[in-house]
Amino acid sequence: MLGFGVVKGLAVTLEHFVETYIDDLKYFPRRYSEEAMESRQRVNGRGIFTVQYPEQELTHAEAFRYIPFLVFDEDKDSVYEGIRCTSCGICAKVCPPQCIWIVRSLDADGRPIPQPAEFDIDIDVCMNCGYCAEYCPFDAIIMDHEWKLADYDRFDGHIHDLERLLKPASYYEKIRPIQYAENNLDEEEEEDEA
Amino acid sequence: MMVEVPSQSEVPEIPEELQRNVLITGVDTIYNWGRMYSIWPMVFGLACCAIEFIVAGTARYDMARFGAELARASPRQADLMIVSGTVTKKMVPQVVRLHNQMPEPKYVIAMGACATAGGPFKEGYNVVSGIDKFLPVDVYIPGCPPTPQAFLQGLVKLQEKIKGQSVTQVPWYRKDQRDEAIPIPVLGPDIFDPRQVEAIKEELVKQRAGETQAETEEEADANGAKPKKGITKAPKLPQWDISPTEEAQTLADRIHQALGEGLVTPEKDTLLVAPSRLIQVGEYLRDTQDLAYDLLSNVTGVDYLGRDPRFEVVYHLYSTSRGSGPLVLKARAPEEDPQVSSLTSVWPSADLQEREVWDLYGIRFPGHPNLKRILLWEGFYGHPMRKDYQEAYYEEPTKPFNSRWPGGHHTLAESKNPYSRNSVYPKEWDPDEYTPVGEALAVVDAKDLPRTGIRTEKIVLNMGPQHPSTHGVFRMVVTLDGETVVDLEPVVGYLHRNHEKIGERNGWLMNMPYTDRLDYFNSMGNNLGYALAVEKLLDVEIPERAEYLRVIMAEFNRVLSHMMMVGFLLNELGAAFTPLFYTTKERELILDLYEEASGSRMMCNYMRFGGVARDVSQDWLDRACYLARERLPRKLDELEQLLSDNEILVARTKGVGVIPPEVAVAHGITGPMLRAVGVPYDIRRVEPYGIYDRFDFNVPLLHNGDLYDRYLIRILEAREALKILDQALEGIPEGPIFGGRRAWQLRVPAGEAYGRIEHPKGELGYYLVSNGTGNPWRYRVRSPSFINLTALAEMCKGHKVADIIAILGAIDIVLGEVDR
Repeated sequence: MLGFGVVKGLAVTLEHFVETYIDDLKYFPRRYSEEAMESRQRVNGRGIFTVQYPEQELTHAEAFRYIPFLVFDEDKDSVYEGIRCTSCGICAKVCPPQCIWIVRSLDADGRPIPQPAEFDIDIDVCMNCGYCAEYCPFDAIIMDHEWKLADYDRFDGHIHDLERLLKPASYYEKIRPIQYAENNLDEEEEEDEA
Repeated sequence: MMVEVPSQSEVPEIPEELQRNVLITGVDTIYNWGRMYSIWPMVFGLACCAIEFIVAGTARYDMARFGAELARASPRQADLMIVSGTVTKKMVPQVVRLHNQMPEPKYVIAMGACATAGGPFKEGYNVVSGIDKFLPVDVYIPGCPPTPQAFLQGLVKLQEKIKGQSVTQVPWYRKDQRDEAIPIPVLGPDIFDPRQVEAIKEELVKQRAGETQAETEEEADANGAKPKKGITKAPKLPQWDISPTEEAQTLADRIHQALGEGLVTPEKDTLLVAPSRLIQVGEYLRDTQDLAYDLLSNVTGVDYLGRDPRFEVVYHLYSTSRGSGPLVLKARAPEEDPQVSSLTSVWPSADLQEREVWDLYGIRFPGHPNLKRILLWEGFYGHPMRKDYQEAYYEEPTKPFNSRWPGGHHTLAESKNPYSRNSVYPKEWDPDEYTPVGEALAVVDAKDLPRTGIRTEKIVLNMGPQHPSTHGVFRMVVTLDGETVVDLEPVVGYLHRNHEKIGERNGWLMNMPYTDRLDYFNSMGNNLGYALAVEKLLDVEIPERAEYLRVIMAEFNRVLSHMMMVGFLLNELGAAFTPLFYTTKERELILDLYEEASGSRMMCNYMRFGGVARDVSQDWLDRACYLARERLPRKLDELEQLLSDNEILVARTKGVGVIPPEVAVAHGITGPMLRAVGVPYDIRRVEPYGIYDRFDFNVPLLHNGDLYDRYLIRILEAREALKILDQALEGIPEGPIFGGRRAWQLRVPAGEAYGRIEHPKGELGYYLVSNGTGNPWRYRVRSPSFINLTALAEMCKGHKVADIIAILGAIDIVLGEVDR
């Protein structure tokens, strides 16, 4: 019958429309509660799929990667001593768009010491591929979860320097608890073996 | 508006301007409130970021909540331009023109690293280092790509900016401050900004003076071993054993018997053909019954700088009826005026690819009907894929660059360029004398028109590169007789971001995240193809679990891609957004899985040579099972219920865009497009890669070859993909996910390899030549979207303009892959 196909299609849209309200009843009277949002984002979620940004935010998985940052350990005397980076340069060499710039520290005799003197990442070139973090032997450079970076000017702040890049190990633990625990475990094992 | 203003005498303390402010603040609040929540963005997208922008408008992110859902296709109705993605030199004149056409007040958001400053493609010869070199930008959103939420954050930032404006200050109500139209950049030997002409002239004069000086210097120390500029050390030419294999020798003997001596020379498993006799050999290979090489899949050039003859053109042939291949043909051409006869008369699929080789390598193809530049523009100086071509931001022939470590003081590439832009001009060029070489439009002669009754004329219609339904920056030059299409020419290159040039400078591993940005709907599939091709040269064993994970990721990608294709196709048929919203929702759920497994929604960068990057948890697998076994089959049913019997869809698609199977094969069409015309050719079956030979699945086949079949085959294939997923998720073993040692440095043994996979869009191939170092000598992507376009004209002829859009939609092109 002509027109039946269209009617069948309309039934689908009607079903979608009704379904959202049926799910809302479960959370009556708070349509957009945290609990409701979380259940609706799951693979078996039903109901309205919208996340009410900026009131609500979609959380990201641990593996999520955005612009990288450098880790410093807080148990050292100063931030500078706590920097895990040894300026070995692997991240700069493996970086596909070559957006990492490192100046190695030198001691008074001109011999290199394992500390970065300058460390710059051009976030306007960075492709968030995560190689720097993946191949860092010291767990010193980590991909961040911070994506709220929109601003009005790119010439003031899009080149992340050492000061901007450094974040404490506790922050690293907060955003990537599993990876942090695994790597800590590895270190302890190594120490035990030694 | 009449408002009582208190007179001076009553409030003598408050200065005059402040008194007005009290009133204006009230007006401003209302004025800005209205503008903040009614931003109309333009339907305008350039690259990968545009997908995230589109997704920001769909159910999960719902841009409508900010009052910004009313995307306008015309710049004259829009007040926000979202420059989302890589701005190429070929595209920037259009971007500026569109901006000029927008009425005030207008705002620009630079979305993503590329639009902000060139991004990962910054070093490319066809990429602009930031749209802010041309347009005033209000908000920058970093990220590659920014997530839809990051985009929304940018939108909120823009709203804040609007909130801070005052009606008394804004320039668009002031005659003296109104912006002049921005001069449109011109495509010369390189792009040039009319505002820079004087600076360019001065610089060129300086350069000419410098050149003479340098020449005298060079003469002075002619004996001194001064290294030539650019290539600092002699490149190591690829070399491998070329003693012929038995098959190659037998085939060569057969050809000699049939066609005469000396036509071909077997080299390893390839045949070297005399450049002038290609057609003869090609016809023999195509027409001989037991060879039947009917599919010319890949044509590409290689520059062996330092070898004589310098250039090589490589052809990969397959037989769809016998399932055999590849047979690799090679033709060599000298440095001076390289020429190889065109194979378009034997295999029309050579058409666009030969143009690409001409464009990038400068090898001419006598006999080609339309040998014009394709990715760049007529008038562009040089052939950029040649090894001795140096772009404006050229640093070193290979990565990693020495300037980054250990003395890596940050310097912007712009600061080293005299024009602080990504451009370079030939020394002898004079901007005053230059007239741009226009894209030649077909001129219609009134003589070849029927003169019955009313005198009509054909018209040439230009669709794109900015058009809401060309899937990005794609242009079609359509010759029309009334409403009927007489001829059509695809014009591409507006997203040509120099993937291959950058790829040859990159290390082997560095190319992996770049492949994500080819077909940005299918990063997992792109990764897989590249990993497989490189693994052909490397000797690595891939653990079982990694093999299964690869299949799972690639098949999810197929479902995702096919569902999105249906959504977009229906958009183009006028069923605006309902199907797209439903399919995007499912895509989001798959992307959640991707993000958890790989770290990124779209740019997964998940495969490595020898395995995959990260393992997945049991919880992940459970959710994947639920999706593959319960949710997605249900959603495919729902999609079919929504569409398959819909009378309007059927009326619009049945019998439209039909091509016969042999024409399709000859034009190099692969993938679902080919199976919709009844050719059972699926690489997973013909030449199983990975562990595809273990799975039980059908190759769906339809025979009408019209749009409806192209729609339906996607649904059927998505179902088969779910079947594979079901088996893969069932059979995935525990164990390691990576074979061998994870190394950031990688040397690949010298040799050449062509790896191909059944991509959701067709045959995705990577042709690689290694010289045994850490960087590929030749890195070529045979992209299905690009080559499927070869037959676009064939399919469109005789149809109406509205059908072209649908026919293009059914090919399912992604511009990142078309232009690379």
